[in-house]
Amino acid sequence: MKRIVGLLCCLLPALPGVAAVPEIEIRIRDHLFFPAELEVPADTKIRLVVINEDATPEEFESYELNREKVIPGKAKAVIFIGPLKQGEYPFFGEFYPKTAQGKVFAK
Amino acid sequence: MFLNAVILILQEILEATLLISVLVVLTRLLQRLWPALLLRRRWVLAALGCGTAGAWLYAVFMPAIAEWFDYVGQDVVNALMQVVIILLLLLFSMLLRESFIARAPVLVSNLARLCIIIVVALVVTREGSEIILYVDGILGQPENITPVMLGGLMAAGIGLSSGVFLYFGLTTLRAKIAMRAALLLLALFAGNMAAQVVLLLTQADWLPYTAELWDSSGWLPEYSISGQLLYALIGYEATPSLLQASAYILAMLLIIVSPLFRKAWQYSEA
Repeated sequence: MKRIVGLLCCLLPALPGVAAVPEIEIRIRDHLFFPAELEVPADTKIRLVVINEDATPEEFESYELNREKVIPGKAKAVIFIGPLKQGEYPFFGEFYPKTAQGKVFAK
Repeated sequence: MFLNAVILILQEILEATLLISVLVVLTRLLQRLWPALLLRRRWVLAALGCGTAGAWLYAVFMPAIAEWFDYVGQDVVNALMQVVIILLLLLFSMLLRESFIARAPVLVSNLARLCIIIVVALVVTREGSEIILYVDGILGQPENITPVMLGGLMAAGIGLSSGVFLYFGLTTLRAKIAMRAALLLLALFAGNMAAQVVLLLTQADWLPYTAELWDSSGWLPEYSISGQLLYALIGYEATPSLLQASAYILAMLLIIVSPLFRKAWQYSEA
């Protein structure tokens, strides 16, 4: 089942407009985001790849971006954001909010 | 850390406790409307039991599930659970009508009870799994264990009180008003689930982006206390997308036009 879906997903880029989604990586290490500040093109859908290098889970959350996802320890998650109007969009790690904070700048 | 744990765990618990309160009030009132119905309160324990087991299982398999569908598996599975919840609530509202209850009261009662047990179990599974993952992470950090455990206890206390408060708040009303309030809250809950499906699938890029319908974060931000409470109760969003709002309204309407809603809305105790 997974292989069939995976195969179908490989065909997705063949669909017009799907191939060109910019991808940005954020890493979580010691309850901090690296990078803590990202710049993304405005009015574009972005594929955020969040890699949790900690052994403990973290919850990537942002009220402004309207996104929320728990990422288990030593795991990777994909979150699509945008298209975003120009501006600042803070995000934080809900499990460790004092340290895990970041911002997305849409320019 | 203590305050963080309270807020986090409370957020997860609140949705479940408020739903349970609404369903307990609703089933009690429906019991009075249709005496042949047998919706005893014991369904709550069964639902909580199944939900807890489900939450533990879901948490254990989360790392594997998260990788499905190119790392959006969690969103897809959560969305699927919400869809099942909506379908069960629709089934519940279509099942409970005069003619069915008169013809097969035991069967209808059992099916209705099964619907709400599974609905509550799914909600508890989803919310509980996040709590379990959070606490499991904390267990590896000795300095955080006590504040988080205390925070969890406080959150449980607040969550439970909120549920009890809502229950007594509803039951002190006249039966007709209480019934209408419970029915509306049920419809709003269904709308909430539908909006969440859209949000999850948009996050996973399985649904397209649609324009923001409004931005009410100026006068009621989502992170404020009232915003959080409203979010837990009816799924308040400060910046809902067009698709989210449409899904919300559609699910709400489906419940409102159901036989259960239309009949129970007229309920009154002379």
